[in-house]
Formats: sequence, C-alpha cells, structure tokens
Amino acid sequence: MSTESSSTVARVLKPTILILIAIVAISSRLFSIIRFESVIHEFDPWFNYRTTQHLVKNGFYDFWNWFDEKSWYPLGRVVGGTVYPGIMVTSALIHNVLHFFNFPVDIRNVCVFLAPMFSGLTAFSAYLLTKELKDSSAGLLAAAFLGVAPGYISRSVAGSYDNEGIAIFLLVFTFYLWIKAVKTGSAFFGLLTALFYFYMVSAWGGYVFITNLVPLHAFTLLLMGRYSNRLYVSYSTFYAVGTLLSMQIPFVGFQPTRTSEHMAALGVFGLLQLYAFAELVRGYIPPKQFRTLLKGGVAAVAVIASFGLTILSFSGVIAPFTGRFYSLYDTGYAKIHIPIIASVSEHQPTAWTSFFFDLQMLIFLFPAGVYLCFKELKDEHVFIILYSVFASYFAGVMVRLMLTLTPVVCVSAAIAYSTLLDTYLETSEHVLASTKPVIVAAPPAPAVIEAPTAATSEAKAAGKKAAAKAAAAAAAAAAKSTDADAKAQAKSAVASGEKKRFPIFNLDSRLLVILQLTWFLFMFAWHCTYVTSGSYSSPSIVLASRQHDGSQMIIDDFREAYYWLRKNTKEDAKVMSWWDYGYQMAGMANVTTLVDNNTWNNTHIATVGKAMSTSEEVSYKVLRQHDVDYVLILFGGVIGYSGDDINKFLWMIRIAEGVYPNEVKETNFFTPRGEYKVDHDATKTMRESLMYKMSYYRFAELYGGGNAVDHVRNARMPAEGPTLSVLEEAYTTENWLVRIYKVKDLDNLGRDLKDSTAFDKGRVRKVSSLKKK
Amino acid sequence: MGRLRIGRARLFFTVVLMALFTLLITTTTTTSAQTTADIIAKKVSKLQAKATKTKGIIELDSLAFDDALAKPRNYSMVVLFTAISPEFQCVPCKNFDPEYRLVAAGWSRIPDKSQIFFGILDFKSGQSVFQKFNMNSAPSLLYFPASDSPEASPSFDRYDFGKSGFQAESFASWINARSGLKIDVQRPFDFVAFSLNIMGFAGTLGLAHFLYTRGGKVIRSKYLWAAISLFSIFIFISGHMWNQIRHPPYSMPSRDGRPGFIAPGFQNQFGLETQIVAITYAVLCGGAISLMSSIPRIESPSKQRLAVIIWMGIITVMYSVLILFFRAKNPSYPFRLLF
Repeated sequence: MSTESSSTVARVLKPTILILIAIVAISSRLFSIIRFESVIHEFDPWFNYRTTQHLVKNGFYDFWNWFDEKSWYPLGRVVGGTVYPGIMVTSALIHNVLHFFNFPVDIRNVCVFLAPMFSGLTAFSAYLLTKELKDSSAGLLAAAFLGVAPGYISRSVAGSYDNEGIAIFLLVFTFYLWIKAVKTGSAFFGLLTALFYFYMVSAWGGYVFITNLVPLHAFTLLLMGRYSNRLYVSYSTFYAVGTLLSMQIPFVGFQPTRTSEHMAALGVFGLLQLYAFAELVRGYIPPKQFRTLLKGGVAAVAVIASFGLTILSFSGVIAPFTGRFYSLYDTGYAKIHIPIIASVSEHQPTAWTSFFFDLQMLIFLFPAGVYLCFKELKDEHVFIILYSVFASYFAGVMVRLMLTLTPVVCVSAAIAYSTLLDTYLETSEHVLASTKPVIVAAPPAPAVIEAPTAATSEAKAAGKKAAAKAAAAAAAAAAKSTDADAKAQAKSAVASGEKKRFPIFNLDSRLLVILQLTWFLFMFAWHCTYVTSGSYSSPSIVLASRQHDGSQMIIDDFREAYYWLRKNTKEDAKVMSWWDYGYQMAGMANVTTLVDNNTWNNTHIATVGKAMSTSEEVSYKVLRQHDVDYVLILFGGVIGYSGDDINKFLWMIRIAEGVYPNEVKETNFFTPRGEYKVDHDATKTMRESLMYKMSYYRFAELYGGGNAVDHVRNARMPAEGPTLSVLEEAYTTENWLVRIYKVKDLDNLGRDLKDSTAFDKGRVRKVSSLKKK
Repeated sequence: MGRLRIGRARLFFTVVLMALFTLLITTTTTTSAQTTADIIAKKVSKLQAKATKTKGIIELDSLAFDDALAKPRNYSMVVLFTAISPEFQCVPCKNFDPEYRLVAAGWSRIPDKSQIFFGILDFKSGQSVFQKFNMNSAPSLLYFPASDSPEASPSFDRYDFGKSGFQAESFASWINARSGLKIDVQRPFDFVAFSLNIMGFAGTLGLAHFLYTRGGKVIRSKYLWAAISLFSIFIFISGHMWNQIRHPPYSMPSRDGRPGFIAPGFQNQFGLETQIVAITYAVLCGGAISLMSSIPRIESPSKQRLAVIIWMGIITVMYSVLILFFRAKNPSYPFRLLF
C-alpha cells in the first residue's frame, strides 16, 4: 500500500526535480547577463556567432560554400570546409522554428542562451545515464551535480557560444545511448547512438574521445570474455552507420579511414567480425579442429594486419597523429615542435588546484563511485571505469579536457553519494527484507510478522522447520513487493555470495552521517556558486573592476575600439593584430584580418609575429606587402591588465623565430642576465621592436614625462619614450587598453619615412646625411 | 760623351732602382695579402687536424679559444661551455656531453670540413672566457658565425636548452638552420639497450604467458584491476601529469612561515604537495567506501556506532585539511569546514 502511493509520488516528483535541476542549471549560468548584458563572450564564440549570422541570413547552402575573404588576408578561408557546423546549425534551426511560430527572437539571443539551455539537457542525460548504472535516485543526484559543477559551467555560461556548449550534452547522451544499446542489444539503439555520434562529430573535435572510448569498451568486454550478440549488434550498427555519417562533415572527410586516431574503432570493428565468424564456425566444426583453425587464423590475421599497417603508415596513406592530439600522449612533443599549441593556455597541464576548483567534493567521491562500479561490474560499469581512468589522464594533461572528465565524475560521485544515502536512510523493513530473506536469524521484520500469523497455526502442527519455510516465503514475497532496484540489489548480493549486511542500528549514527553529508552538499552548492560567479562568468570583452571606494567600474575598451574601427575605417580596411583578437575584430569591427583564432596557417601567424617583433624598417616592408592599413594592439600598462600584448610578446617572438630564425631571435629580447625587461634595462632589439614602440608610444606623456610606471610589469619607464615613423597613432581607448595605429603611406617625395617624420617635426637634419644624398 | 754616359748610367740606375722598388712594393703587398689567407688557412688546417684526431671535437682552453675565434676567420665555431669535472656536480653537463659529441661526430661526415668546428671549453681551463661572456651557468652553447671583417662586433647565438631540449637531433637541426650545412646525427647502435629491450620484451611475453596460463586468476581478479584503476585515478586527479610535464622541485625549504611543501601560486605545485593531496583524496575516498560497505557488516550496534563516529570524524577532519590546503593556494577562497 505504502509502496504504491510512494511510487505515485515518485512519478510526480522525479520530473519536477528534473525540471528544477534544469532551471538551476540554466539560471546559475546567467551571472554575466545580469551583471553585464546579453553579449557574446571571449574569442572563438565571436566566430561562431558571425558564421551563424551568415547562416541565418544566407541560408544553409551558401553557408556550406562560404569562402570568407575577410579573414587570413590575402589567403582567405573556406569556412564550410574548416568548421564544425553543429552549433551554428542548431541555433539557426532554433531561430527559424521560433520565427515560424512568430516569436521574433534575435539570433544573438539564441546564441547567447544556447549553452545554458543545453546544460539543462545535459543534466537530463546524466540522469538517464546514471539510471542505467544504478537507479533513478542516483540519476537525480548526477543530474544535479552535472547541472552546477564548475568544470562544465566553465564552458557553458550564457554568452559562451562555443562548440563545447552543446558537445558535452551530445557526449553524455551518446554514451547513454551506447550503454542502452549494449544492454539491450538492439540495432535501434545502436542506430540512435550513431545518429547522436554524427551530431557530436558535427559539433566538436572532441568526438575523437567517443571514437576511441566506445571501441575500447567493446575491446575490453571481448578480453573479459563477455562477447555477446548484444555487443556485436550494437557495435557493428554504431560503427558502420556512425563512420559513414561522420564522413559527411567536410572538415572530417576521409579522416576516419586514414588517421591513427580513428584506427582503434576500425580495428575493433574488424576484430568483432572475426570473433563473430569464429563463434559461427565453432558451431559447425568439432572442437579439436576448431582450435587448430583458430590458432592458424589468429596468427595469419595478426601478421597480415601488422604488415599492412606498417606499410600503410610508412607510405603515408595513414597520417600520423595530428599535433594537438599527439601532444596528449607525448607530453614533451608540443613544447618543442609546435609553439602555437604550447602557447594556448587551454593546452597547459592541469594542477591539482584546478581539479579541486572545478569539482570540489565530487573529486574524492568519484573514485568511490568507480570502486562501486567494480563491485557491480556489469557491461555498463566497465564502460564507466574505462571512461574514468582515461578521462582522468587526459584532464591531467590538458586543462581543456576537464570538460570531458566532469560528466563521469558527476555520474560516479552520484553513484557513491546515493549508495551512502541508501545505506543510511533505508528503513529497517527494506533492509531486512532485501538482505536477509533466507537467513532468518535476526528478529523477524515487521513486514514478515503480518503474513505468518496465518501460518503460525499451521506451523504448530508442522513444526519449526515448516514455520521457517513459510517465513522465508513470506519474506520473499515482501521482497518482491519492494521496488525493483532493491530486488536487483538483493539478488546480486545473494548471487555474489557476499557477507551478510546489517542495517544501521542506531538513529544517531544515521543522523550523524546524513546531516554531515547534507552539509557537504550545501558546501558544494556554495562552492559552485562562488566559482561560477567569480571566475567563469566574465565575458572578457567587458571587464569589471572595483575602484577604491568599492564601486564597480566597467571597462569597455574592447568594444570601444572595435566600434571605432567599424565606423571610421573604409570597408575593406585590413587590420593586423595578434591572432587572439582576429575573431573579435571580424565579428565586431567587420574588418579584414590577417590572422585569427583558427591558427591553421603557422607561417602566416609567424609573419605577423615577425612584423611585431622586428624594427620599423623591416616591419614596414611586411606591412606593405600585406596591404595592412591599421595595426591593433592591447596594452594593459595603464590599468594593469595582464593579458596584454607585451606579455604575449614572447610567444609572438617564439612563433616567428620558428619560421624566420635568421630575422627574429628570442635571445636578443632578453637582457644579458636573462630577464625579460621593458624599462631602462630593455635590450636594443626590444626597444626597437614595433610592438614595444606601439605599446609605449607617448606613454610617458600620460605621466607628465616623469614617473611613467607600467602597472602590469611594475616597471619604471624611461621619460623619453619611443618614436614612431612608419605608423601614426589613430586611436587609443579610454583606458589605453586598445591602441590602433595607422600604417603610413609611402612618402610623396620618395623620402625615407624616418626622414620625412623627422622633417615634419622640424628637426634639423644632420649635415652628413644631406651630403650623402 | 762621358757625362752623357754617366747620365746614362744614372738613368739606368734609376730605372733599375725604380723597377726594383715597384717589384718590392708589389711583393710586399702580395706577401701581406698572402699572410692573412695563410693565417686563416693555417688556423683551419690546425683546427682540422685537431678535430679529425678527436672525432670532431676540439678541446679548448682560454688561449686556444681566443686563437680559434680571433678575427678574421672564414669558418663558424660552435663552443660548448661546460663544467664536466665531478667537483662541479653539473648533471646536465654530463647528460649533454655525449649528445654534443654525437653531433660533432657528424662533422667528420660532411664534405667540406673547413666551414665549421666544434669546440668544448671546460670551466677549469677557461675561467677567463666564462667571465668574459658573463656566463654563470653551464652548460651553455654558443654559435659564432663566420666573420671576415675584423671590426664586426662579436655576435653569437645561444642555444636554448629549455626550449629545444638536450637531444642531439634538435641541436643538430639548430646548427644546420644557422650554418646552412647538413650535419646529421647517427646514433651508434646501442647493443646494451637493444639486448635489454629484447630481454624486456621476452620477459613481458613470458610474464603474459605465465599470467595467461597459470595466473589467470590473478589477471582476472577484479580487485587487482580495481586497485590499478583507483591508483591511477588518484595520481591523475592530484596533478601528477602536471609534474610529468613541468618537472617541479620535490619540495622547497620553508620560507617566511610558508610550509616548504606548498608551492606559491595557484597554478604551481611541488612533487610532495601532489602526493599529500593524493593521499588526502585516498583517505577521504576510503572513508566513503567503508561508510557504505564495511560499516553495514558490523553486527554489534555499539561497535557500529563507534565505527561510524570514527570514520565520520576522519572524513570531516581530512576534508577540512583539504580545504585548508586549498586556501593556502588560493587565499581568497571563502569557505572552511572545521578550521
């Protein structure tokens, strides 16, 4: 009776809780909107936003064939073929559907709110996934954890319109479908897995994680001797359909048949076919002959496969690992070979503090959940274990991959946490019924007492033995009446022959544990709110700082500069800047850029680095060759913004040196004592570099020529600042954060620009220089 | 007539004298030109002779260094500043030495052996040069390009060990990029490593075979795999990969009240620090596991209560320690549990 009503309550409660979780997940991502405004954040989102606008305006086919001549000038970029279109198509679809129903929502708002909306869906898929592993209460916990875990929020706040925003949902949901497929062995779920895998491929480069984890799971199951038709059907469906679909994305193309990242999936597919074939043959051939056949077959296949692979990879048909991926395995690789990868802060390894910062309490409940998976160890638990170990490794190597670790941490911590709650909340009748139906040694359970009353009279006659039997039967009946999960638990407990379990006898120990755990949950919630509001909600194009009197100051220099460019330059103006700002400039200022965050052409980036780090004369040639009209730099020395170009300068130099080793030399920028200095001690090369000159041009005037202090590097600058002759200052924003320079035209009289500038300033030229001419 | 003769003789004399003079002038100029080329040629042949004797390496001291680098010279020079003697305890010097010699050995394979030379200057024999170049750490590797004009300022390139590493191959490509030569590195076939590899491979195979046939139980034991998985997870989530990549010191002597095992800065850590964190995680996780699987196995209510209190105490204290630890790294973190 009680179970019936409680199940109705649960039926109502579960959706309510899930909806509440989704609301919490969405609203905790809205800090930046409330504080600032509905604006696209950071760098990459600006490109996604720009392409989405293009897609909405010009339609899908035009988007697919779009050649963007406004970036990577003069090379341009084939956008349709170099982009993961999933996120743009998703928001365009949402936009069009809303407009179809006459909701006039601006595409920008769709983009801004896309990631928070999908975080609600992610929480729901975490619920589904965990439900497959344990039960729905653990599922609810997992949904709640994943909804607010900072490790996921970091990439999905409102305005952070990036691939990861929808990709994490797809990741979790694809894994859920895969587990469902393996469990049921249905081709339908295998197909669904493939479809969502395709969606994932279209959305994020991290799909490689799925392509390797799923085959690994299948392979491990094979090794464990758990081959089944379910596995065969689900994997074959998934691989065949998923791979064919994934090849429809132009950016992926034929990679699934060529690159080593995809080889594991192909190999496991082949292995499964062979295994299935062997199983088939086994049915028709006597065992002894089968064994010899098997041995011969295995040897032949191994030899052929290794031979073929070697030939293929040496002949170049199979490409080696791509740089970004390779740097995951050989941790020293990127540092030496690809400075552009090493320069990105997302690609740095993860310190322990980041793990704790992003996951707090979950981080130590997570291994406990993995342990519980080992105890159960059904097919789906094997998957979670593999996922845990590998995601932990990858998250340790690269900060960015914390994102793939977070879902499994939430799922497995939820399993651990809900097991704890189960143990300490279970009512005695439940525990007794489920744990000791056969061994009736302890005092009988209340549920049991009712039933045997009828049996007692019978028992008197039949003796003690029968009474025990009846009691056992009644207990079994009671066990049946409790919910299915408990039954499964009891079954597995009995089946694995575990030691007997007792309830928690004392109320105080129950209370102690439950209250303490609840307190931990509160702390977790506070932590998540604190981290989200403090660290992950800054749009980074609008900055906020506190003034001395405690009032907030909004620093909006970036948009100021971009709008200046938009309004004051001719339409096809080419603006050079370091690649970090390429997407923002294209998106906000609508100008042509030389390099941007796509970083596909290292040489072009190095050329920009060279222009920044060489002297005016050398640099001017580069600028002219690339038709540059304006140069944009970031300078934080006035307000102490540490992410400015002088601090990034070393990377520009390094990247430039990689391509132009004879023209740019890193060592020349260091003082003899090996320091990176910008003040009086700065080296000659440093002082003559274009970047230095642009940054500190007229900087001393700001301080009346006296104590000019660079607040980022705490350096006292010389009173006599650098002079510029090939550039002229075009615009400097309110807080000096962005400075824009116009590249001068060639001199009308054919003079050197240096001379003409000197002449304009009315300086008397040296006689010697006149004589020479 | 006689006068005339005299005059003739005089004329003859002057002509001869002039001829002699011009001859003299021309010879002196040619000899001076020859001497510069001679000096260079002599230097080159001397260096070549030295280098061929010792597999491409020229051991330098202060005098020899100045001599070899004196201008003009038409060859470039690579000099390794090192401190190989045991009293300096320079481990990287020792590690790099064989790699350097490997590249220098590649010198003997290039066709034109007069363009570049490889020198080694040990601190013991070349202190004054070390001082002249303001060198206070070893090994340092400088490349001096060829320079014909004597008045050109001493320009050189410094090889960045931090960026390019200690490998002979990367060093060789660095040299090649600057000199335009093609010096290749041929590692001698390492029989010891090869046989070790073979033995290791055979050993692994044998072990695998043994485990497969006899130790099937061991390899199929889920407890073994659980231990391996949990261990690696603990290691990874406590920042071990960061240590692998960044090579931080294990710990530092404590300074101004800051304990020596905590590295300053949020994105920085010491080896010992991560181990402490890993152990903390392990204890906390162990507490959670025993709360859910060991405690329900205790039959006596009072013992069970005691165990619950003990484990809950451990968890609470360790969690507080963890948060305290985190606050030491991030002083603005506002939360605390016990302390």
